[in-house]
Amino acid sequence: MNSFWNGKRRFVALLMFLAGVFVALEVPPVIPFIQLPGENFPAGYNIPFTDIRITNTFVAAVIVWILLLLFVVYVIRRRPQSATEVPPGGFYNMFEMLFEGLMGFVGGIAGGRHFRLIFNMFMTIFLIVLVANWMELVPGVDTIGFIHPHVKEKYDAETDKYKVVTTDGFEIYQGFLGISYVNGQCDWISPADEAAADDAALVQAQAAALAAEQALIEDAAYARYQAAHDDHGDEEQGDHADEASDDHGDDHAEEVKESDAAAAAYNDVLAAREAEKQARAGRGCYTGVAPAPWQDGYTGDDKSAKKDIPLHPDPSSEEAKLVPWVVLPFVRVASTDLNMTLALGLISFVMIQYVGFKALGIGYLTKFFNFSTLFKSPLGGIDVAVGLLELIGDFAKILSFSFRLLGNIFAGSIVLFVMSFLVPILPWPFFILEFFVGVIQALVFALLTAIFMNLATISHHHDDDHDHAEAH
Amino acid sequence: MDPQSTIILGKAIGAGLAMIGAAGGGIGIGISVGGAVMAMGRNPDHTATIQTNMILGVAFAEAVAIYALVVSLIILFVLS
Repeated sequence: MNSFWNGKRRFVALLMFLAGVFVALEVPPVIPFIQLPGENFPAGYNIPFTDIRITNTFVAAVIVWILLLLFVVYVIRRRPQSATEVPPGGFYNMFEMLFEGLMGFVGGIAGGRHFRLIFNMFMTIFLIVLVANWMELVPGVDTIGFIHPHVKEKYDAETDKYKVVTTDGFEIYQGFLGISYVNGQCDWISPADEAAADDAALVQAQAAALAAEQALIEDAAYARYQAAHDDHGDEEQGDHADEASDDHGDDHAEEVKESDAAAAAYNDVLAAREAEKQARAGRGCYTGVAPAPWQDGYTGDDKSAKKDIPLHPDPSSEEAKLVPWVVLPFVRVASTDLNMTLALGLISFVMIQYVGFKALGIGYLTKFFNFSTLFKSPLGGIDVAVGLLELIGDFAKILSFSFRLLGNIFAGSIVLFVMSFLVPILPWPFFILEFFVGVIQALVFALLTAIFMNLATISHHHDDDHDHAEAH
Repeated sequence: MDPQSTIILGKAIGAGLAMIGAAGGGIGIGISVGGAVMAMGRNPDHTATIQTNMILGVAFAEAVAIYALVVSLIILFVLS
């Protein structure tokens, strides 16, 4: 096998490079769209039995869990059952090397009475964060997904619901480096809503026309009534027939006039509606594209609705111009979602406090509320302030943990897809960079947890006194 | 100037100002790497330990710059 590939690998690499050039030229990469919160899947993709929409970062988190579970099962089954058995090689050996190395590493930092607990926490966090971070290097993550017009969910206070607004409505500004951002000037109006608005305008116009006619008729009737009253005394009974026919003629003339006024009122309302539409179009908001799968009013059976927004629109076609197209990836790295990193930060915070209470009992609280020296020493007040600062600092750890991981990995994935967009052929150096950033961030997160847990187990007073004794 | 441009202008300026914070991270990384290299020069036997600790320190210093980056990203993409 080896001899077969000798001297041929470079040609394989060259071939792949040429294939990369060809693909980059033939299928230009999609302009990256950057969004900080995890993106919701289209309507209908709920977490089973709930109303909660799946996000693509959640999918990544589930994949991480599954991978880790498989890993755990594998390690437990391959583990040597007795001391005399020869350890298996391959992947298991690599894991053992990693495990032993890290065990020594953590032992040097937090090797004490609570080493087992601290090391378990360290290893758990390290593996979760490591697998989650490295997922950004897998081809297809962040790049394969639903191609859809640019949509955004917006909270509607009136109906207390999230409503999907988009695309036709939204303008995309192309900024530096092809990073696009959204102008939420106008909301998406579904064709159904637009038709309903048209109908409403029609009804309104008819009502206006009717009202105008009614007003004219009433005016005329009043005028006639007035005239009849004024003339009543002078008129003779015999002229009545004549008068009646005259009235009839007058009525006819007025009816023509009434119709004119009604038509004017009718046209006014419709013209106002038309002007409203024109103004919307002038702002770059369009309607009339059928609802897509993620929009209200979409029916899965309706093939015609799908046909109106093709999944891969011809760039030169008119309908493609209406809509800014972006990718909603199926899987986005879990660490780029604040929910994930904040959850890990909270877990780590809770474990720090837990191990503190476990080691020092209720006396652990004196680290934060230190009144013992308040009346004994002249500078006792400083100890109180320091304790309170430490309380604040402990809560700040949550933020610092979660933002460190989020920021590093989010920035890394932006770098990856911006570079893939700018230099589609050669983004490899950045993948190597992100490989190391993934390891380092996982290590930093886990190591800081271990260090803080170890610090929490050490009695504050005892340590202080010890230091003083040594110093003097 | 129309309001939309004003908003974009404000966001761009704000994001740029927020990134000034990255300078602190850069200074920190420079100092720690400089110190580590000097230490490695003095006792090359401890290169592995020094390197590990240096990378950790660099990651912490970088975290400050990353906070600035997060703030500027929030200004650009979340504020509307």
